[in-house]
Amino acid sequence: MSTQSRAALARSARGDRLFVGLVGLLALLAGAAALVVGQGWLGQFRAGRALLDPIAVSWLAGHADLARGLAIGIGVLLLIFGLWRFGRALRTERRPDLLLDTAEGAGLTVTGGALAAAVAEDSQTIDGVSRARVRPVGRSGRPALRITLWLTEGADIRAVWEELSTGVLSRARESLGVDELPTAVRLELDAAQAQRVR
Amino acid sequence: MRVLLRLLAALLGLAIAAAGLLTAVEVGWAWGRPRHRYLLFDWPYWVGRLRTLDWAGQQLHVVAWSVAAGGFVLVLIALFARRSPVVRLNDPNPDVTVVTTPRSLARLVGSAVRAEDGVAGTSVSATARRVRVRARSRLNTEDQLLDRLVETAASAVGNLPLPRKPKVSVVVDSPKDRS
Repeated sequence: MSTQSRAALARSARGDRLFVGLVGLLALLAGAAALVVGQGWLGQFRAGRALLDPIAVSWLAGHADLARGLAIGIGVLLLIFGLWRFGRALRTERRPDLLLDTAEGAGLTVTGGALAAAVAEDSQTIDGVSRARVRPVGRSGRPALRITLWLTEGADIRAVWEELSTGVLSRARESLGVDELPTAVRLELDAAQAQRVR
Repeated sequence: MRVLLRLLAALLGLAIAAAGLLTAVEVGWAWGRPRHRYLLFDWPYWVGRLRTLDWAGQQLHVVAWSVAAGGFVLVLIALFARRSPVVRLNDPNPDVTVVTTPRSLARLVGSAVRAEDGVAGTSVSATARRVRVRARSRLNTEDQLLDRLVETAASAVGNLPLPRKPKVSVVVDSPKDRS
């Protein structure tokens, strides 16, 4: 099992999970810290101080230019970071093309759509497959395939599994002339056809 | 859950970007034109508020609890937005990964067991490790059916190219056993 084929199983949410988790953790810790201070566990004197502490304010006033510069810098960094996360969260998953030849003047590219359509059409000829959906995912230039096959009820899963690897995927590899084509396959068994009562 | 996660990630990103922009703009504005009070956000008012509030106050208590609770919810969402579980099948090639869904596995076993004589209906729950079958029968007792159904279910699972066979357990539910 290659990591690339495994990663092609589903869109990764790692970045979003890390981001939301870290923001949540920061909020949790900040709220807890404020409660700890407010309860007086760090001393009753500290609990009675103003939120905007005069000591801190006088320090900032003493280093006004430094504080302003830092505030603007941090603000700009937050702006860039926030827009980056916003863009990453809303971005649709790419459909990379397959670069077969990158030579100058003789480049050859198979578009992701063409690759997916060809493999999908071939997959549908397998006995027991009612529907196939294929999508290129992953690195640009060297995409992986994400294949979802819906099998009819009573289909022989082992036969489909064998036909897929020895037939469809090896044909695709041969016709493209590539050694490996990382692929994630998801087999879904259709529900039994509802029987109409007569 | 994953849609919620993406939505939250986008909203949080936007909120952080807006906060950063506001900070930079207000500080720059106050630096360049000290005689104007503020540009967009009335921060002098909030400075005055924060001077009067102390850490032990009721208001801060409420805000701190809400922030902590909100953070906890975000952490939970991030933890639970996992991929839906799949059942791994053997890899036919080193660069091919094949999986199926637990639901598909359950359907497969269910239709095999239902095809047996004397079974009126089944309910199957499956994970990669365990398949539980509950078969209903009107005419046969558990003793009459159990061995045959266990064999059927096990062979339905055994026909699959699974790297590790899940345990199969069968229960027969029959009114004959209650009398």
